[in-house]
Amino acid sequence: MSVASTARPRKPGAKTNGRQGRTAALLLAPFVVIFAAMYLAPLGFAVYRSLFVLKRDGLGLTAPTLAFDPMANYLKAFADPVFIESLGRVLLFGVVQVPVMLGLSTGLALLIDSRSARAKGFFRLTSFLPYAVPGVIAALMWSFLYSGTSSPINALLEPLGIEIPFLGEDMVLWSVANIVTWGWTGYNMIIIYAALQSIPGEILEAAKIDGASAWRIAWNIKIPMVRPAIILTAVFSIIGTAQLYNEPKVLQSVSGGSIDSAFTPIMAAQVATAAQNYPYAAAMSVILAVLVGILSITFFKLTNRGSDA
Amino acid sequence: MKSFKRWGLAAAGTLAATLALTACGGSSGAPAASTPAPAASSSEAAKPAELTFWGWAPGYADSVKAFNASQSDVVVKYEEIQPGSRGGYEKMLNAVQAGNAACLGQVGYETLTSFAAQGALEDVTQYATANQGEYVEFAWNSVTVGGKVFGAPVDTGPMAMYYNKALFEKHKIAVPTTWDEYKVAAEKLKAADPKVKISSPYANYDYAGMSWQAGAPWFGIEGDSWKVSIDSAENNKVAEYWQSLVDAGTIAKAPMYDPAWFKGLGDGSIATLVGAVWQAGVIKGDAADGAGKWAVAPMPQWDAASPKVGNVGGSATAVLKGCETPEAAWKFANFLSTDADSYGNLIEKAALYPAVKALLDLPQLTKADEYFAGQKIFDVFKEEALKVNTDWTWGPNMPLTTTKLDDGLNKAWAGNGKLAEALVEANTATVENMKSQGINVAD
Repeated sequence: MSVASTARPRKPGAKTNGRQGRTAALLLAPFVVIFAAMYLAPLGFAVYRSLFVLKRDGLGLTAPTLAFDPMANYLKAFADPVFIESLGRVLLFGVVQVPVMLGLSTGLALLIDSRSARAKGFFRLTSFLPYAVPGVIAALMWSFLYSGTSSPINALLEPLGIEIPFLGEDMVLWSVANIVTWGWTGYNMIIIYAALQSIPGEILEAAKIDGASAWRIAWNIKIPMVRPAIILTAVFSIIGTAQLYNEPKVLQSVSGGSIDSAFTPIMAAQVATAAQNYPYAAAMSVILAVLVGILSITFFKLTNRGSDA
Repeated sequence: MKSFKRWGLAAAGTLAATLALTACGGSSGAPAASTPAPAASSSEAAKPAELTFWGWAPGYADSVKAFNASQSDVVVKYEEIQPGSRGGYEKMLNAVQAGNAACLGQVGYETLTSFAAQGALEDVTQYATANQGEYVEFAWNSVTVGGKVFGAPVDTGPMAMYYNKALFEKHKIAVPTTWDEYKVAAEKLKAADPKVKISSPYANYDYAGMSWQAGAPWFGIEGDSWKVSIDSAENNKVAEYWQSLVDAGTIAKAPMYDPAWFKGLGDGSIATLVGAVWQAGVIKGDAADGAGKWAVAPMPQWDAASPKVGNVGGSATAVLKGCETPEAAWKFANFLSTDADSYGNLIEKAALYPAVKALLDLPQLTKADEYFAGQKIFDVFKEEALKVNTDWTWGPNMPLTTTKLDDGLNKAWAGNGKLAEALVEANTATVENMKSQGINVAD
């Protein structure tokens, strides 16, 4: 990726081209080395390991050997109902949670950005605050709010004869979604809000002079102009959804079995790791990574189609 | 512009894939800090053998000091690591693969077979056999896999019944001695106060203790094949017993070791805990409100005429693969388990219960315990330890087995399934996993 030499056409008369190239290479080298060692090498190793299967014999009391069988782990993963179910669950989660969260983020950002908003700083900070709470701590806190034995919400509803089964089998996924939304809405709001801030004042001024209402300005000018920011947050959210782990893992112990050991794909891979089947865990991780890649690219393509015109 | 967009697309895809993949890879843990295995130079007999010991039990460091002071043949270096299930076992297994593991590691009995199945242990049978008679029989069996000894048993976890004596006295209910009486007591407690539950859910190794007592093995070895019997008729009997308590609504919902569980133990809404000797420390530490109310009695029996007791936990000092001084390693491991002074310290610091017969009379084990209203609780365990069922074998991949079992058990205890189904699912998953890796499983 020699950006310096391909992206810029050769300038006539520039004698120092060779030296420039060397300088660029020198400056890029530390990044390339760290990138290769910290990102590419583990990635490559995971892919490599996923091509082997564990083999034992007899009572299996001697060290297992690794046999090269490139498709075995992948076939096993796709035939593993538990893993497939976890993928489906996370997909359903993303389809519902991401739009809801981004809708909330955009709405909040527009509200705080609106001309008549008061105490902008206060609302900006307070809605961002949940993001400052580490995911595990947030999940622990919510587990108390959800738990059958300690839920203050249910304690308040008790006189009315209502009990919300937050951790019931049908509801637990949405209870997890609530925690994630609580934690990340403010974060996404800040990104969208920052984009709103960069809309030139003249455009808004002109719209106002033309007699556009605040709603119309928001819908026809502001939202289209912060579209790239919304798409960016959407892609981050898709990736985040695929990595769903903290919240269900913490709730698992109090969920009464509604959250099992393979609730999400990463949890499923962790089970394989704990069972010392690293190649299988690697295969599951590779599948997840490829799926997320495909999803992100598809999403980019779909959302960029309109703006080509 | 077009090319830029394509590049951006590819970059975004790669970024997404990278993020997802590195996040998954993160948990596999960094390679262990390298401690080159000390080489014993056989040419110089005067030079002491050096070896490293990885463990986490409080008090081990002092025992190592005591050992080093007691002789000059072997020098042991103690390195405290994370407890096994919290990363210690992964560190050991990874280090064995990398060839830089310590000579000795603290390994729980339930995990020891899985370690052997990873080829992570060194056979020390030839040095160990001479000491066999000093150890409690089932503990010795726990460090023996396929006829080979892999380490020295340190402590055991004989079970008994912890019960809220004040509660039983208040409602004038007799302390149950059989499981039938236990069920009756559960009904009486519920009738006296609907908020009181007799017990709470038991998962993985705590549940295994119940099967162990009932003579309902999960694994066995027949010739060169494994026999997996987690869903056997004997195990079904245990499952159905507890299922009947769930159905009767006499089991608390609070999962063990959850804050709600400790609260229940403290405030008297959970009346008993059938568990291992080390649970005494857990109750004392985290259910301080129950001080003076609790007492210890023998575990309820299936057949009062032939009392049997289960075991939960206990660990060994295992010799890890690649140890170049196995004889010296055994010498230290045996010292750690048998030296009276060192062990007295371990009882006080880590509430360990000796796996060596001669140590069962240590003064630290005959003290009155204030939390238990002055009861000498170890007297009960001393009696019970002798009744521990001696044939129990752990499977070759316990992390997988217990994970699958817990998935089902948790549902069943919450009333969303049956305990018996959990056993069937764990059995199926375990057999499938063993077969898929080429291990012989008898049908």
